[in-house]
Amino acid sequence: MLKKISIVFLFSCFFVIAARAQYPPRPPKPTPEQLAAIKQGKTIFQQNCAVCHGEHLTGGRGPDLIRSDLVRRDKDGDLVGPVVTHGRLDKGMPPFSLSPSEIADLVAYIHSQITVFDLHTRIPGGYPNDIPPSQLATGSAAAGRAFFYGAGHCSECHSPTGDLAGIAKRYPDPTTLEQLFINPAGTLAFSPTYRKGVTITATVTLKDGKTFEGPLEQNGEFYVSIVGANGWRQTWPRSYVKSVVVHNPVQAHINMLPKWTNKDMHDMFTYLETLK
Amino acid sequence: MKRLIVVPALLLALAFICAPVSRAQGLDNISLLNNPPTSMWPTYNGDYSGRRYSPLKQINEKNVNSLALAWAFQTGARSLETMPLEVHGIMYITAGNEMWAVDALTGRQIWHFMTGRPGGSNKGAAMYKDKLYMTTPDDKLLCIDAKTGKELWHIRIDDPTLKAFGGSAPLVVKNHIIVGTGGDTADLPGFLLAVDPDTGKIQWRFDVMPEPGTPAWNTWPHNTDVVKRGGGMTWVTGTYDPKLNLLYWGTGNPHPVENGAARVGANLYTCSIVALNPDTGKLVWYFQGSPHDTHDWDMNMTPVLFNGTWHGKPRQMLAQAGKNGMFFVLDRTNGENLLSEPFVKANWFKGFNKRGEPIPDPIREPQPDGTLVWGSTGTDWQAPSFSPQTGLFYVNSQQAFGVFYLTMPGIHAEGWAGRDFFLYSKSMMKAIDYQTGKIRWVHDYPGREGLEGVLSTAGHLVFTGGSYDNVLALDASTGKTVWHTFVGGGMSTSPMTYELFGRQYLVFPAGGTIFAFALPNNTAAKASPREGR
Repeated sequence: MLKKISIVFLFSCFFVIAARAQYPPRPPKPTPEQLAAIKQGKTIFQQNCAVCHGEHLTGGRGPDLIRSDLVRRDKDGDLVGPVVTHGRLDKGMPPFSLSPSEIADLVAYIHSQITVFDLHTRIPGGYPNDIPPSQLATGSAAAGRAFFYGAGHCSECHSPTGDLAGIAKRYPDPTTLEQLFINPAGTLAFSPTYRKGVTITATVTLKDGKTFEGPLEQNGEFYVSIVGANGWRQTWPRSYVKSVVVHNPVQAHINMLPKWTNKDMHDMFTYLETLK
Repeated sequence: MKRLIVVPALLLALAFICAPVSRAQGLDNISLLNNPPTSMWPTYNGDYSGRRYSPLKQINEKNVNSLALAWAFQTGARSLETMPLEVHGIMYITAGNEMWAVDALTGRQIWHFMTGRPGGSNKGAAMYKDKLYMTTPDDKLLCIDAKTGKELWHIRIDDPTLKAFGGSAPLVVKNHIIVGTGGDTADLPGFLLAVDPDTGKIQWRFDVMPEPGTPAWNTWPHNTDVVKRGGGMTWVTGTYDPKLNLLYWGTGNPHPVENGAARVGANLYTCSIVALNPDTGKLVWYFQGSPHDTHDWDMNMTPVLFNGTWHGKPRQMLAQAGKNGMFFVLDRTNGENLLSEPFVKANWFKGFNKRGEPIPDPIREPQPDGTLVWGSTGTDWQAPSFSPQTGLFYVNSQQAFGVFYLTMPGIHAEGWAGRDFFLYSKSMMKAIDYQTGKIRWVHDYPGREGLEGVLSTAGHLVFTGGSYDNVLALDASTGKTVWHTFVGGGMSTSPMTYELFGRQYLVFPAGGTIFAFALPNNTAAKASPREGR
């Protein structure tokens, strides 16, 4: 099943959550000169800063620069520049000898990344990824394998040499892989709607005895809709419907949700990481 | 025989003469806010109590099926979070940097105000005499002339370069405009301002971060500057008790958001209800509904005020359904906890302490390799409702399951410091018996992810938005749907109601449109015309 679920689909789940968040106004496009400075700055950042502040500036050994109030208050390097040249020895940051133009490029890059981030604020799928797989692989691969063939019931549908072969390589973002194996349909799993990636179908039996089957579009309080065999949507008022039998291909995952423990999750991830 | 007819006719005529709908005017008499007539919805919550209960019952469970569209007003916004005000026949609607004045009888526009760019959300305005107040996405407070729609002045609330944002409705208490602020990207300390209605001068400021040396200060570590870096935003409008002269406001989560090790302790006054003196901004009492929060569970949800019996004795109470899935009943005179009970399945707490506050389980704090949490975001800012008719507290709720990762360990963490993902969520309305905390009924929303606000009325009805872009009326005692209509857009705020010229209007902001429903004129005439005045 995992194979069928595209990253695009997963991101669409996140947009459902993010729809409630507030979107900042779109900033003006950078000029070609600004773009050149940003490009230079990126190289400088990756060579000097990324090791502590994270490849995506969201922190690691050093602070998160995206959400830093010092960086956000900075204007053309007036605050960031001195920190770079003098370091912050009390917090373990060494000084860097960069030229004023290098600092200007670096600062342009950092501010551009804040702009990008702010456009995606509160969209979890839009967060840059600084989590290495090793951070999540804290369990036991053997215990994960035992869970796969035992209490997790995974092997009833999946195979490490079949649909899951090389799964760890296919999902380089470890949190994506973890979410997928717990619930491949994300927050939409409860929603009997037809989505790219997971197709929930239903058999609708009307009171006159006729039955229809197809991807379920709406199983609401007032109406039932499916996509009929001919590709057209069909909708019935509830009062005409005798029964709706829903076929959810990820139902086994939904049924498992209350049973997951942190240990199961860590073991399972560690096991799947061996499938490269 | 003749006399019998004349007397009711005279009374009816007198009722119309006394009706406060004859002429549009401002909110000159501020004491009206203490007990607003049913012809008005003059504040974010309709009145100071936050109950969102209307004594109107022209629309009731017997005739709600014949509700029809009275008018619709299209704002052109993509979606609305606005809670419209209605004062003397004029409705005030907000979105982002915009406001509209609309004839509440016909839906026709009177004026439109815009500053800056369109877009962004806004939860509503406040009115004082002939002036209106709103906050903007870039965190300004605007004062607008209610008659002309022209800006009179504005002040800065907080710094938008640090992603501080406005958007919540201010609250008018006597001659104070009470204003909150939001922001959870950089580490900002939260506060409340009281502003002079005429000049925009700040009268007082309440800081959610405590004063050095106080007991609350010691609920933070002092080996870093974390206590100054804050959290505890104030982005949902509070409530007020005029008799006790106490202002009640919910505060948001502490920062860094998902790193608890950087701020060992309860982290007062974040995730709390604070009771303040509205004339001085001084703290009178507090209750912390989510001590040492590490899951972004702001406790800004409306503190709902009502009076009733508690174990046989009359009490002045305050109830809150929190984002952390906990329902609390307090004595609002002193903050004493009367009841604490989860209203969703929750695995992150180990019980309640002596003060009735949940004790968080450290293993459910975000971990580098992830931790699984049941009970995330039990509800959100959209308003609940309490009906004195049924004694039930109605809240739209979700049962969610998520995974929380700590991405920035250590005591110097900043900002979010973690990431979290929903793995599952299911939405429903819950009716909570405030005497026991038990769920009396549940109304499921199949196929819906959002949360909507609630209104209850003396017509024995509960109004809300429901699945697949429907608006709903539910039976207040059973939760069964008694009316619904498809409005073609999601609702992200609450319904409201008012009565004009003998007709009760029921208003739903949905999508970018304001929909006003009423009974057809002949039906309305039959159903007690001047009920609830």
